[in-house]
Amino acid sequence: MNRSYLDYAAKRIGQAVIVILLSYVFTFIVVSVLPGDPITNVLRDPQNGFSEQEIQQIIAAQGLDRPVLVQLWASLSQFLSGDLGLSMRSNRPVSTLIAEVLPSTLVLATSGLAVAIVLALVIGYGTQFLPRRYGQGLLRGFPSLFLSVPNFVIGLVLIHIFGFQLGLFRVINADSFWATFFAAVALGIPVSAQIAEVLIANLDHEARQDYAAVARGRGISQSRLFFRHLLKPSALPVVTVVALTVGELLGGSLITETVYGRTGIGSLVQRSVTTQDLPVIQAVVSLAAVAFVVVNLLADLVYPLLDPRVKLIGTVKPRPATGDDAFDDRVEGIPS
Amino acid sequence: MSHLAQFVSITRRRLLTAGSAFLLAGAVTFTGVNPALSAEDPRNGGDIVFLIDSLGGTWIPNNSAISSFQGHVWGHVTDKLVYVDADGKVSPWLAERWEQNAEATEFTLHLKKGVTFSDGTPLDAAAVVANLDIWYAGRKNEGINPIALFPKTYDRADVIDPQTVKVTFKKPTLGFIPTLGYHGSILISPKTLAQPATQQADLAKTSGSGPYVVESWKEGDHVTLVKRKDYNWGPPAVGHTGPAYLDRITYKIVSEPSLRVSAVQSSQADVAYNASPQELKSLKDEGFTVATPRYLGFVNGWAINTKLEPYNDVKVRQALQAAINRQEIIDTVYTPDWKLATSFIQSNVPGATDQSALLAYDPAKAEKLLDEAGWVKGADGVRAKNGKPLTLTLHSNPYLATAKAIDELIAQQLGKIGWKVDIRAFDVVTFTDRVKYGGPTVPAYEVTRSFIDAGTIASILTNANNGENWFNLDDSDKTLNELRDKIAGAASTDVRNPLLNELQKYVLEQGYFIPRTQIVQRIYVQSPTLKGEVYNGVAYASYYTAYKSE
Repeated sequence: MNRSYLDYAAKRIGQAVIVILLSYVFTFIVVSVLPGDPITNVLRDPQNGFSEQEIQQIIAAQGLDRPVLVQLWASLSQFLSGDLGLSMRSNRPVSTLIAEVLPSTLVLATSGLAVAIVLALVIGYGTQFLPRRYGQGLLRGFPSLFLSVPNFVIGLVLIHIFGFQLGLFRVINADSFWATFFAAVALGIPVSAQIAEVLIANLDHEARQDYAAVARGRGISQSRLFFRHLLKPSALPVVTVVALTVGELLGGSLITETVYGRTGIGSLVQRSVTTQDLPVIQAVVSLAAVAFVVVNLLADLVYPLLDPRVKLIGTVKPRPATGDDAFDDRVEGIPS
Repeated sequence: MSHLAQFVSITRRRLLTAGSAFLLAGAVTFTGVNPALSAEDPRNGGDIVFLIDSLGGTWIPNNSAISSFQGHVWGHVTDKLVYVDADGKVSPWLAERWEQNAEATEFTLHLKKGVTFSDGTPLDAAAVVANLDIWYAGRKNEGINPIALFPKTYDRADVIDPQTVKVTFKKPTLGFIPTLGYHGSILISPKTLAQPATQQADLAKTSGSGPYVVESWKEGDHVTLVKRKDYNWGPPAVGHTGPAYLDRITYKIVSEPSLRVSAVQSSQADVAYNASPQELKSLKDEGFTVATPRYLGFVNGWAINTKLEPYNDVKVRQALQAAINRQEIIDTVYTPDWKLATSFIQSNVPGATDQSALLAYDPAKAEKLLDEAGWVKGADGVRAKNGKPLTLTLHSNPYLATAKAIDELIAQQLGKIGWKVDIRAFDVVTFTDRVKYGGPTVPAYEVTRSFIDAGTIASILTNANNGENWFNLDDSDKTLNELRDKIAGAASTDVRNPLLNELQKYVLEQGYFIPRTQIVQRIYVQSPTLKGEVYNGVAYASYYTAYKSE
């Protein structure tokens, strides 16, 4: 591992820490300026019957009437010492809440990504080799169709057909194999559209190259041509898209988890945002920032493995943590 | 294909089962059904799944006991000192009997022997004192709130002997005994109460004395309760005091309402909470049990801000009272399961009187009152006075799913007589922050509030004694102040009931409160094979007496 690579890695990690801290402060300010918080929301629930005077007494007793900057400093100090604090909504440690739900979201997001990749590959393969009369053109329209149907609609349709009518899974057992599978399908379909669009465009490009014509001329099988020759160069931009879909998967998991009654990061965020549970929102945003940065770093590391033409330049320029233009700053030899 | 065939056969079988259950059920009504009257003997065993929109926030008992969601779980994990049925009738439970002095300032409770919490601690006088103290005061700096509707006149509670508690109030508190049956008054083990808030927030670490204990729970997902086999102190009023019949109850969150109902229809669950009123007729026709119990409390309606123009004019308020066609609300938004408001408190509250005559729909009277008040109809059909249009801004209550639909219907009704109505819908967070009783932009606050004892009313009328001042009158209405003080100080229901009648008449006549309909805030759709459940005074379903039939 050369020095320039280590410099590059150190700068990227430093940038990631700044991104995480800024996201923490930004989230705190945004949520603080919004009306309400979980404690006063409960106190002001008309069912409770607290008078305004009593509400103010309780708010003061818990230090919620302190200036925002004082609260921010207290919160940030706690965060920097590694303590994510207590959920204002449930009074339980935020780290416990995240630990409870993270495995479920990881399973769903990974399965959703697997479904998306498989679906994109099937569509990609079909667009190259399916005869026109069997609907090759139709296949090319699938990504647009998948993108335009919201995943909660797909989720509800799948539940009604496979859950209620065919009885493959029970909605009350959201972690069962089939329930997870169909949740992953609902989550994966829109994500597959983005991957398939990029894949189709690159497959079309590679299929027009001389080496593909030579391979065809040698009479190799369709599968061999696809997997050995066309897919590898076409997959390079797809890796970038896959990395960028992390946000999509996290966002989609919110809706999918809600529809399928799964507990996960998505449903935790949904509950926390609707009640403005600041400590949980901040922890999850920071976690998402970490996930996004790490996945994009991994994507960068995978690049040279997929294409030997890609190598790090000696002088590394800083780059934003995310963004499509990132490659231009640090790699050369990207296939056109 | 085989799945499809199976589905068709299940549907047919279900229809047949549902049909026969419907015939067998005959004229049994489900609200407040007494399981002792059921035709078949309850069967031991079986598990049920109850699908619910949410399981609230924290599980700190004081902060969650009255939640429309968590209250279901607390009702099975804990007991109360007295039982209050759907008609507000108070009967002994863990307090076998009680006495009070003539001034209603001292109460002596005699406790049932042999009752224990699930952690083994005896439920004795010391435990009751610990609960009364925390209901009254909470531990505010720790985030443990007091129970807001617990009498603020509480002074202290003393242990006389292990089975006897003496409770003293600073002023007459006739509502104390019924309040012990309120959903906030759940008895928790003193060991749990001594824990800090973060420990109390873990439901698995909380011990009650109820017929079920927590087997497992996951925040945002489910709570599973399992039967406590040594339970033997149920409320005699429900006709059963031994262990529960059902082995297990799982409260599972399914936030999408149509999925909750579909899951019950496809036999994947036994109860769906909070179905849409529009679905109820077809579900009944399919043979499902539909329960729409009314809680004891205020009806759904508006508390009017009497400081805000033009609602500082009694004639405008009276016109508003007469301009609402309440029957049309029931016919259009609800089903016949909903009842017309007869006062500003629900008709099942002891002490409620029938004031229907004051709530009659009379658009001609409303127009006449507005004419007299100087509001003249313009060419556009909107009334105006001194160049200002007659407007009403409504903030749909997010705690009631049908609130906006009712607002829209009322806007049409008022529009006919020249009112311009603006409807604003907020989410819960924004609503609780911006919409308050008597707020400067809130002419009408939409009320949804349960209570156990009508004495509670005294604390909402004005700002005296830390009151909520619903009508923004402060202490300007002498008649109301007098009624408030007499009701708060009444030492017997014989003295209090005529005062309550007078108060209801006065508040409605003055147009301080504009009722819409009696409220049903908890709707249950239930499998026909599940029977014997009981609905208490705050409309929670108890499955302590329930069983599954063949």
